[in-house]
Amino acid sequence: MKLRRLVQLTLQNLRTSRVRTLLAMVGIVVGTALLMFFLGLGQGLRERVLNRIFPVNQLELEPRSVQLFGTQQVVGQAPLDDSRIKQLAQLPGVVRAFGKRKSAFPARLWGGRELLGYNLFTEAFFDGMPVEILRGELEAFEKGDGTSAAAKRPLRCDVDLDCPVGAACQDAICQRVVWSQHWRESPVLALPCGKNDDCQSGTCADGHCQSAQAPPLVRCLLEKSAGNGRDLEFDAERGLTARACDAAGGWCKTAVPCPERMYCAADHPDTTLGYCEEPLPAVINPLLLEVFNTDMARSLGAVPVGSLAVLYGVRFHVAFGDSFFTQDAARPMQQYKQAQVVGFSRKAPELGVALPLPVVQHWNHRLRGDDPRGPYDAVLLETADNEAVPQVFTAAESLGFSLSRKSQAARTAGAVIFFTALGLVLLALVVLAVAGVQIAQTFAMLVHERRREIAVLRAIGATGSDVAVLILGEAALLGLLGGIAGVTLAWLGALGVDAAAQHWLAKVPFLPEGFFVFPTWSAPLAMAVSLVCCVLGAAVPARRASRLDPARVLAEA
Amino acid sequence: MTVAAAVEARGLRRQFPLDGGGTVTALDDVDLHIAPGEIVAVVGRSGAGKSTLLNLIGAIDRGYEGELTVFGQELRRLSERELARFRNRQIGFVFQSFNLLPGLTVGDNVMLPASFGADMPDVLVRRRAHHLLDEVGLGDRFNQPPLQLSGGERQRVAIARALLLEPPLLVCDEPTGSLDTATADQILQLFREIREKRGTTLVMVTHDPAVARSADRLVRLERGRIVGTTLEAP
Ligand SMILES: Nc1ncnc2c1ncn2[C@@H]1O[C@H](COP(=O)(O)OP(=O)(O)OP(=O)(O)O)[C@@H](O)[C@H]1O
Ligand SMILES: [Mg+2]
Repeated sequence: MKLRRLVQLTLQNLRTSRVRTLLAMVGIVVGTALLMFFLGLGQGLRERVLNRIFPVNQLELEPRSVQLFGTQQVVGQAPLDDSRIKQLAQLPGVVRAFGKRKSAFPARLWGGRELLGYNLFTEAFFDGMPVEILRGELEAFEKGDGTSAAAKRPLRCDVDLDCPVGAACQDAICQRVVWSQHWRESPVLALPCGKNDDCQSGTCADGHCQSAQAPPLVRCLLEKSAGNGRDLEFDAERGLTARACDAAGGWCKTAVPCPERMYCAADHPDTTLGYCEEPLPAVINPLLLEVFNTDMARSLGAVPVGSLAVLYGVRFHVAFGDSFFTQDAARPMQQYKQAQVVGFSRKAPELGVALPLPVVQHWNHRLRGDDPRGPYDAVLLETADNEAVPQVFTAAESLGFSLSRKSQAARTAGAVIFFTALGLVLLALVVLAVAGVQIAQTFAMLVHERRREIAVLRAIGATGSDVAVLILGEAALLGLLGGIAGVTLAWLGALGVDAAAQHWLAKVPFLPEGFFVFPTWSAPLAMAVSLVCCVLGAAVPARRASRLDPARVLAEA
Repeated sequence: MTVAAAVEARGLRRQFPLDGGGTVTALDDVDLHIAPGEIVAVVGRSGAGKSTLLNLIGAIDRGYEGELTVFGQELRRLSERELARFRNRQIGFVFQSFNLLPGLTVGDNVMLPASFGADMPDVLVRRRAHHLLDEVGLGDRFNQPPLQLSGGERQRVAIARALLLEPPLLVCDEPTGSLDTATADQILQLFREIREKRGTTLVMVTHDPAVARSADRLVRLERGRIVGTTLEAP
């Protein structure tokens, strides 16, 4: 049969039974729309939400531990040192591997006055993180944050607090700050040391670690020493640079303050002499905000913090060697430093702060005597893609590692989304199957109604298969139209849901710009499924039609 | 190829199985010879087997016993596909109830046989359809839906459709059964013209004595058998 004729006949058939075919299509359209919608939602949740909260191609492994006398112990394994990390890095599917170190020294931190009106004090726990492994996540998070911080019109300012969220005061004008850029391995920083101390890069001179590449640090003087630190004021801590003014090692103020973004970090709490330093770059877990808002804010009588974005650039104080709970370090060994929130990561400890690895290693060494090149507590793996994760995990397990609690949560969330999306897609397929049955019924009816026409076509010269092709062609056309309608509907639905989410859920953290990502293959797939459903549904009626005995049908008056 | 007979039947028999078991014999031991260009009327009471005979001759039913050749072709030997092609090329059907497709225009209805198997260029098909509609006096109705036509006009469209691929045999089951006498006369006149012009063989079933009388020859069936060649039952 000629294609043009086929299309013409099909169209005329569709036209004459318009209402019925439209009704038959409802199921197909709904099913296709659901399929497309859920495919897009599943992919969107994975890409837009899950991957941002837990970068899914990464896992955190710990040496497998056992319960011994009520405590978790790692037994019978080589320490997690660089050579074992290298071993993990060489597993197939692994792109990079990094060790992570927990703080083992007493410390506390306080801050928050700018946000809350008073300072919160707490014991501090740190994770030393290799900076590379967090960088991508921090950048993605910051970019996806969507706070159009920098005002269109330049805003004049004296300090960061004059500027809107996400901007900082630079050259007396508020400018957009890319906070993730401050997440660096070696900010301008003086790490104090004694002469027996092991400076990881460089040597100990003038009481702090110096590396050959870094420019020499600038001495500075404060108005007064920190004492117990309660009265420290960020504004007063800018300090004035100092120059050596007598041979005995005395220092005199100049009129020049420490450079922009820096402050004067005293060598220990009882001196006014220090170095101009950048604040420690700190990454915190977004969960911290939720914990604060849901559990702490009420009991503290504080206003909940609206969004993570307001925390960018917030400074707080850290006292190294000073603790609420345990033995403090000797006073001259203590140091108060500033830290600044430069990003958010679910890899950061939930109740603690992530600092660049060398900083934590340094203080572990200085205050606890730990070997700075000693074993790590956990290892972070980056895999080539999400699909490589299970295979990598199995391999790592045989090397004596287990998933960290956090990675486990990520895998669980990933699995939940995957299986939920799968379930919804299956549901859509069930709808489509039911729609296929509906199509079958409709076509059975249509064939019955048109049997006379079919018989005439046969008499005129159509073969049985011509008739079948005619019916299947009609079904295919329906499927195609239904598919297009369904895909359009899903797409509109997605737009609607996204718009509604932006409107009603604007304050929810991690809210992505859209919940839907439609992979390029999803629309053709949905249309193909719709087409196949219709054609399969029409298969039995088409077969019946092709076998109609024209003589018999024509005899029925 | 010249053949001596348009239709040649010998000992033709058609039985249908009955739902409750057993069979009904719709045609029995029919011998029939129809020469090319002949107009033959088949008459008989209802249930006599007239339509059954026509369906066999028209190659839409080949469940027969005995011999039946149409233009020298033993129909039983043809495959399903060959049979469809045979109908398409050799046979034109005209029915009592016209059987036009209501969703297609008059012109498209006429062009329908070209959709199956025929490899004729579209322009030619269209030109021929126009020509045939002119010939049956409906040249100006090409783009109308058939439902707007009268019975006689519809039957003429059906005849034009049957003639599209110039089949040598027209098979008509009560072609005037739904028409008044005057209109029926026009159709008969048309049949005669067609025969004059193309030498088409015509086999038609009819209940109308006037129509039957207009034929060259008459075949009377009774309970599946040929019982005579006259209008009145013997
Ligand atoms: N497909 C069939 N299955 C069973 N019996 C059939 C079938 N077709 C015809 N018959 C039977 O064969 C006999 C002849 O039928 P046919 O239709 O040929 O009669 P007819 O002469 O055309 O009658 P009418 O003038 O009413 O059209 C009838 O008894 C009919 O019941
Ligand atoms: Mg009949």
